[in-house]
This record gives sequence, structure tokens and C-alpha cells, in this order.
Amino acid sequence: MGHGKYLDPFVAVAPQDDKRCHSERSEESLYRVRAGETLELEYVVLPGESRDIDVNIDLVGPGAEAHVKALYLSTGAEKVNFHIVMHHRAPGCRSTQKINGIAGGRAQVHFDGTIVVAPDAQQTEAYQENHNIVLTEDARVETRPQLEIYADDVKCSHGATVGQLNPDELFYMRSRGIPEAEARTLQMLSFLSPVIPQGREQEVETAGSSYCCCRRSSSAFSSRVSSSVPGAPYKLCSCIGSFSRSNSSHSSMS
Amino acid sequence: MDKLLEIKNLHVKIGDKEILKGVDLTIGPGEVHAVMGPNGAGKSTLSAVLTGRPGYEVTEGSILYKGENLLEKTPEERAWAGIFLSFQYPIEIPGVTITAFMKAAVNAKRKAQGLPELKAGDFLKQMKEKMALVQMKPEFARREVNVGFSGGEKKRNEIFQMALLDPQLSILDETDSGLDVDALKVVADGVNSLRSPEKSAVIITHYQKLLEYVRPDVVHVLKDGRMVKTGGRELIDLIESQGFDQF
Repeated sequence: MGHGKYLDPFVAVAPQDDKRCHSERSEESLYRVRAGETLELEYVVLPGESRDIDVNIDLVGPGAEAHVKALYLSTGAEKVNFHIVMHHRAPGCRSTQKINGIAGGRAQVHFDGTIVVAPDAQQTEAYQENHNIVLTEDARVETRPQLEIYADDVKCSHGATVGQLNPDELFYMRSRGIPEAEARTLQMLSFLSPVIPQGREQEVETAGSSYCCCRRSSSAFSSRVSSSVPGAPYKLCSCIGSFSRSNSSHSSMS
Repeated sequence: MDKLLEIKNLHVKIGDKEILKGVDLTIGPGEVHAVMGPNGAGKSTLSAVLTGRPGYEVTEGSILYKGENLLEKTPEERAWAGIFLSFQYPIEIPGVTITAFMKAAVNAKRKAQGLPELKAGDFLKQMKEKMALVQMKPEFARREVNVGFSGGEKKRNEIFQMALLDPQLSILDETDSGLDVDALKVVADGVNSLRSPEKSAVIITHYQKLLEYVRPDVVHVLKDGRMVKTGGRELIDLIESQGFDQF
């Protein structure tokens, strides 16, 4: 099941700039974003699926923008790897990366994200955030955020956290009568909310499996290209719900 | 039923430290009790144990609520049985709107009572009514729970939740802290409008501000883990003029 086909609309916009290969479980992509263009990438990795997501984004024209959002929910023995390089090569470009996920079971998650700001890329704005929740003792999350900055007039930040579900939140919800399993579901949705694609919740809820979505807009191509998400009924919410129930025995883990 | 809540000889530890050292407290239907005491007396521990917060160990004593052992119930079961805590520090839940949060809470309680879920229209109507009661603007329905709220807005949100969940025993933990006079009046009016011959409340506070507006029937002084004095409203003035050292 190569999920790369969902990127086809992007290919139609700028095929000459795009080379990538897909396999059952890995994806390598190079995106070149030119002056005035905006690239948006969204990844959702659902339970039961291992993924290698390897993305290189080159911001090559002044004022280019790239935004990457990813969420993962890994409940069994999955291996999920993110390798993201955001390369600011031109001045005045802006990029954001938000990667949030929840690891349970024996899942192994690795995040390796680098922001590179070239000497000429003044007035760069680049932000990267990676937040992870670990639910079980056997789950492993490793995060390596990195900054390489060769220009002096830039705004950059990165942050990474690995933690547990907040017990105060859980108690607050339960004290209002929300049963523990449902409270944990709400908590996970709350944690993932920054990376659930905005205005696209419907599509996420009906996504049949893990997916990637790419949109590119530019002044030259005024029409916004958006890929549709494939259809088997599979709700992210119910997915998180069964996930929180299956992991609730670990709620008191310190 | 002449007793809604009956606490006897309650001893509570956090880790190795004993915080409550034999508390007795009996509350009848319709009664409002104030529990006053200096910082560190154990006031918040009392509210935590009543609502089943994890991390507190009851080593001795008992709590009966409507004649049943409260200590073996989960926090959500206590909520379904009609216990509500207005938090001293309400918790922020990003990504969850007040509407979604309260819908989950109201319907969970209805389910526990064997009632069908409320229709969306009826629920929203009730929400609107109760928000108006504490002068919350309608747009708060779509705000994330407590995210970016001022201190006063958080406390009003607590009383709104209390009104919507319609508890039989409300525990107000330092609800007056951090409120200016106007917000205090709004909160007090909300609490007073919920008073009835069946409903009781425990107001936990270390000063008398809220008690000027919500007048308690009984006043207790909690100090060093024990109820050291119980009386009427005259105790409030005594504490106001002479502090807690006299007890």
C-alpha cells in the first residue's frame, strides 16, 4: 500500500522539482519551495503501522514558506521514524514543524529534525516542536532536535518534550463525572489537537489508514492544490478511544 | 435523611506525612458549612479526599455519603452521586472546548442514572442558561477549557459547571482567592441561586470574604489537621479580628 499516491496533485504542480521514492513503509521526499510559494505537509501515522518518514525541504526562493504537521499514535510494536531537514537557503523564508505523538505498547519512535539556516538566509523564521507522550515502560521515544544557523538575523526556536499524560487533567475530568477511559481519550485528543489538521478533522476522522497529505500554493499557481484522503471509515477518535482503553492499566505509571 | 455527609475520625497521609489527624464533620441536607483555617491546616487535603484525588492515603476513619462508604467510589462515581468540587486551581485542557467537556460530563452522569443522552438542542439551552447565571459570555462555549482564562473567568467557569451538573454536595475550595469584588459577587450570586433544602455546600477558605455573600449555617476551624472549633457565624468575626492563633 504505497501511500505516496496521495501526493499526486503536488506532482502536477511542479513535477520537475520532486523526486521521491515510496515503499510499503518508507517515504523519502525532497521538496523545493520557490519564491512566494507555500508548502504544507501533514502526516498521520495510526496504530499498527510502522513508517519511515524522511523529508528534505529546501526553501530556495525569498519569502517561501513550509509547514509540516505530523501526528503518530503507536500502540503495539511499531517503529516510527521521522527524519526532517528544513533547509533555509534564501532570505525571508518562514517554516514551522509540529510533530506530536503518543507511544504505547512496545512502540519505538525516533525523531530527528534539523533546521539549517544558510549564511544568505537572513530574516529567517524557523520553529520546530516535537512533543511526545509515553504510556508504557516498554515504549521508547528518542528525540533529537537540532539547529544549524549560519546567518545572524534570524528567529529560530525548537523544543522537544517526552512525558506522560497529565494526572491533574485526568482527575479534573473524572471529578466532573467523565469516566476514566473517556477522560483519557479526551486527554489524548487534547494533546494531539495542535497537529490535527485544522479544518480537516472530517478527513482525518475518515482516513482509512496512515496518510500523508501535501498542499502547495503560490502566487503563480493561484489554485490551491489539495489531496483528498482515502476513504475506508476509520475514525481517529474511536482509534484513540480503543487505544486509551487498552493502555489504561498503565495510568499510574510514574 | 438527616445526614448527607458524615466524616468520622479521618486520618490522611500524603507520602509519609500525616495531614489530617482525626477530622469529624457532619453535614445535613440544605446546610452550608464553612471550613476555615490557616495555610497548611489540611483544608485542600479534605476536599481532595472527598473527591477521590489519587495520592492521598486514608489510614483511619470513615466517610459516609448518603449512608454509603464514599471512600470505595471512584472520582467519577462520586460525581454521579452528586458531589462537585470547585477547584482552587482549575486545570487547563487545550483542544477540548467547554461544550465538548460538559457534554461528556452531563451525559456520563445521565448514563449512570439510566437516562438517555440529552438532545443537542436541550443541552445547549441548559448551557446557555447556566452560563448567563455567572455572566459568562456565550462565546466561552467554544473556548478551550480554562485556556487563556483570567483568574476570575476560571472561577466563574467552575461555578457554571457546578450549576450545570446540579450537585447535592458542592465543595468550594478557596473559590474566593484571586477574585475582585465584582467577580466575587457574581460567583456568590451563582452559589446562592443553587441553594435549596436538599443541597448542601462546604466552603473552604482562609478568609471571610466569600462568607459575607454566601452565609454559612455552621463554621468550623481546621488547624493542624484537626477541627479545633465549631460554631456559628460569630466565629467568622472572631477570626477576622484575632486570627487563627487563638485556637
